[in-house]
Amino acid sequence: MTGPGLRPLRHGGGPISHTVTSLLPESPPAAEQQLVARLRAQDESAMTEFYDKYSAALYGVILRIVRREEEAEDVLQEAMVKIWHSFPSYDASKGRLFTWVLNVSRNLAIDKIRSRQYRVSSHSQPLDDSPAERQPAVDSFRPEHIGLQELTRRLNPEQRQIVDLLYFEGYTQSEVADELNMPLGTVKTRARAAIKVLSTLIR
Amino acid sequence: MNIEEYIESGQLELYALQQLSPAEAAEVERLAAEHPPIRAELINVQRALGLYAEAHAVTPPAALRERVLSSFQQAVNQAASAAEPSAPTETSAPYVVPSVAPTAPAPRYEAAPAPEAVVRSLPAESTGSGFRWLAIAASVALLLSLGANWLFYSRWQQSENQLVLAQAEQARYAATTQAVQKSLAARTQEIGVLRDEQFRMVVMTGTAQAPGARARVMYNPVSRRVYVDVKNLPAAPSGKQYQLWALDKGKPVDAGMLAQTTAVGDSLQRMKDVASAQAFAVTLEDAGGHPTPTMAALTVMGQML
Repeated sequence: MTGPGLRPLRHGGGPISHTVTSLLPESPPAAEQQLVARLRAQDESAMTEFYDKYSAALYGVILRIVRREEEAEDVLQEAMVKIWHSFPSYDASKGRLFTWVLNVSRNLAIDKIRSRQYRVSSHSQPLDDSPAERQPAVDSFRPEHIGLQELTRRLNPEQRQIVDLLYFEGYTQSEVADELNMPLGTVKTRARAAIKVLSTLIR
Repeated sequence: MNIEEYIESGQLELYALQQLSPAEAAEVERLAAEHPPIRAELINVQRALGLYAEAHAVTPPAALRERVLSSFQQAVNQAASAAEPSAPTETSAPYVVPSVAPTAPAPRYEAAPAPEAVVRSLPAESTGSGFRWLAIAASVALLLSLGANWLFYSRWQQSENQLVLAQAEQARYAATTQAVQKSLAARTQEIGVLRDEQFRMVVMTGTAQAPGARARVMYNPVSRRVYVDVKNLPAAPSGKQYQLWALDKGKPVDAGMLAQTTAVGDSLQRMKDVASAQAFAVTLEDAGGHPTPTMAALTVMGQML
């Protein structure tokens, strides 16, 4: 349960004033605020709603990282418990609930593959080999939800590779630089370029 | 400091990807709190990554829902009962059937005033003590029977509930199995093509304009069947679509359009049957295809060996 954990989020940065928060391009919808309030109040039934809303997204990411279904199921289970117990450390002013729970789940999944030294074997697999039975989530909680194919169309292979290594394979930026034989600065600018493309897809 | 430069530096992206040291991360959070443009950009970056994550969403197996939620419940209850040993929660009630049922009814009829009234009124009416004892015994038997009835009734109700749950679970399994079987049948067919010795592999490599492109054609000259398998093709611009051509003695014959899923390498696609061919090629045409190949838009090509 330790490891990289909730690294950046755990840090109490400076207090964020209300004027700044109200400048957010998009404040969380009422339903999300309500769910957050219920989780904060330790309302156990809120976890059922939480599961129905987020499990597909979290499971997809976990599965993409650990690549084995039983293990992904275990990690999802662990993530639910961890989210419940560390909920007091969630700071809504630093990001949306989804961002936070994604990071918790990702970190658990990455800890898992690190602990097994899974990486040696998954290294050589092509990056776009996704599980064959992939089904899109039925109801998305975000209207701007796009499919994997759309992403493949928009990101060029190098961009996708960088984001995948950093986001899904648990690589650090210097490991990516070594692996792809490029300076650290290039990793940074490529990651930025890729994320820029992604943010054009948000309406 | 220059805010624009900072935003362009890529530091916010690394923060969102959790690539920074605690000190660096705290710095990003401090700057985001101080400068609204940085904060807005950071939120943008987080949403973009969220979008990327969500694009990989996979609905977990239906059975997992029950498993995760009940084990979550267990973990939470364990933590809670460590603090307060006998605090049953309403949500856990259906799972602790046997321990609750037998003890619950007992206090109820002992405390009820009605049976007592019956017992007290007996001495006034009866003369024989034998009859009195019989009446008391009958009352006790009746009470025991009522208690037992209550017990059996609540057990029966619980079984009923469990049965309904089990049936729902079974229906979900059946649905999942069906979906899995369907995709298995599709994959089995693909493997059949790959293993069939009559199929000839034609590797098509990229032309000068798409040097990295690669695709394969599996062609069975006997059954005339043609399948195409894409390794890597540049993304088709909107309104364009890839078209496969069989070259028979230098003459191009339309072999059908590549579906979008095929073009990104998702699965094999069966194309139009081809009577005879020595080479295959793929061109980028307007969506829907073209009667003759546009040679300028030739993307991959390969000879049959």
